[in-house]
Amino acid sequence: MKIILKIMKTNSIQRWSLICAVFLALQSTAWAHAFLDHAEPKVGSTVTNSPAEVKIWFTQELEPAFSSIEVQNAQGKEVDKKDVHVDAKDKSLLEVSLPQLPAGTYTVAWHVVSVDTHRTQGHFEFTVK
Amino acid sequence: MKSRKRKLAVLKNGRGRLAASSAVFAVVGLGAAAAHAHGFVGDRFFPPTIATDDPFATDELLFPSVSYFKSADSPPIGTTDIGFEFDKEIFPKFALGISGDWLNLAQAGQPSASGWDDFSLSAKYQLWENVPHEAIFSVGAEWDIGGSGSKEVGADPTSTFTPTIYFGKGFGDLPNALEYARPFALTGTLGEDLPTSAEPNNLEWGLALEYSLPYLQSQVKDIGLPAPFKDMIPLVEFSFTSPENRDGGETTGTINPGVLYEGEYFQIGAEAIVPVNNASGHDVGAIVQLQIYIDDIWPKVFGYPILGK
Repeated sequence: MKIILKIMKTNSIQRWSLICAVFLALQSTAWAHAFLDHAEPKVGSTVTNSPAEVKIWFTQELEPAFSSIEVQNAQGKEVDKKDVHVDAKDKSLLEVSLPQLPAGTYTVAWHVVSVDTHRTQGHFEFTVK
Repeated sequence: MKSRKRKLAVLKNGRGRLAASSAVFAVVGLGAAAAHAHGFVGDRFFPPTIATDDPFATDELLFPSVSYFKSADSPPIGTTDIGFEFDKEIFPKFALGISGDWLNLAQAGQPSASGWDDFSLSAKYQLWENVPHEAIFSVGAEWDIGGSGSKEVGADPTSTFTPTIYFGKGFGDLPNALEYARPFALTGTLGEDLPTSAEPNNLEWGLALEYSLPYLQSQVKDIGLPAPFKDMIPLVEFSFTSPENRDGGETTGTINPGVLYEGEYFQIGAEAIVPVNNASGHDVGAIVQLQIYIDDIWPKVFGYPILGK
């Protein structure tokens, strides 16, 4: 480890570190891929009452025109109200309304595009008792 | 990895300044020979791995990668490797890359040696993907450019070409009864060294088994993991070199347990480097890597092929 410490003291490494710091500092002016941060109903959860909507919070703001949620029942039929939209106040929140759902397991499939045009997708299930 | 082995062999046989074994290279080459930026197959994000290359041909910048490891020699050679790798997608699913490593070799009773190892050029093409099954298969090759590095560290004066196949498989398609196994993913490589000199042919093979906590949280079950754990991917990598002829010796390699942390614009990874036998190394080494997601930092410049869409 003494070798590493010695190298870390060199001007070369200081320059590399500075470059890295510049890269990281640029984060404040950039965006990134949108990943699912959390959802309601929660991913993989079981709820006792039919939820009125599915809400998904992402790690980045979304492009509304290219972001969607589809909720399917166990037979693969879409059951949501097809009114998916990005929340007016929180551009990282995507939501879709649901009718009264009977007991069963439902799959939520989402496709989104973040504001820097990166595409991501995913799916999860929740169960209504 | 493969190139480093040959280069140190030169140092050992040609100059005798530091007694190096082939095992050193099997491990020291961990530096910049692996890792890529955002690699998706459907729902699955395959993170850039450290000791083994992943199957994606994408824009990436790995900088820096710092490792330290002691060879199997007596007394052992302590090698510090500081490396980089840059890859650019030229046309869809095809990328070219360059990587390099600055080495410092130190052995008791000997003056230390420092300098650049031979630089490497690489090409990779994503040949096949299966989205529902989170599977990918790629082909590629690496050219270790003989004579491009410093003689001080035994950089090989001759070139080696290594055609390689790559694969990745996520297990998100497992049934619900095995839901907690769905975050697992496996990637691997299999390459054949084709040296341009009378050095041994080697089979280069590696695996990376990872368990994605972000996948668990977002695709399987939200178990309420707090930061920073919800952004971590524990993994273990296996990296081996098997000489095939010309008295290349026994198989050497390492097992590397570690963890990756996924930031929004970067990944930081750290692994222990555990030699698998006496010929592979001395003591446990370590490696730390910073992967910069240039496609996120400069989305108008990176993340797209130069030609085609």
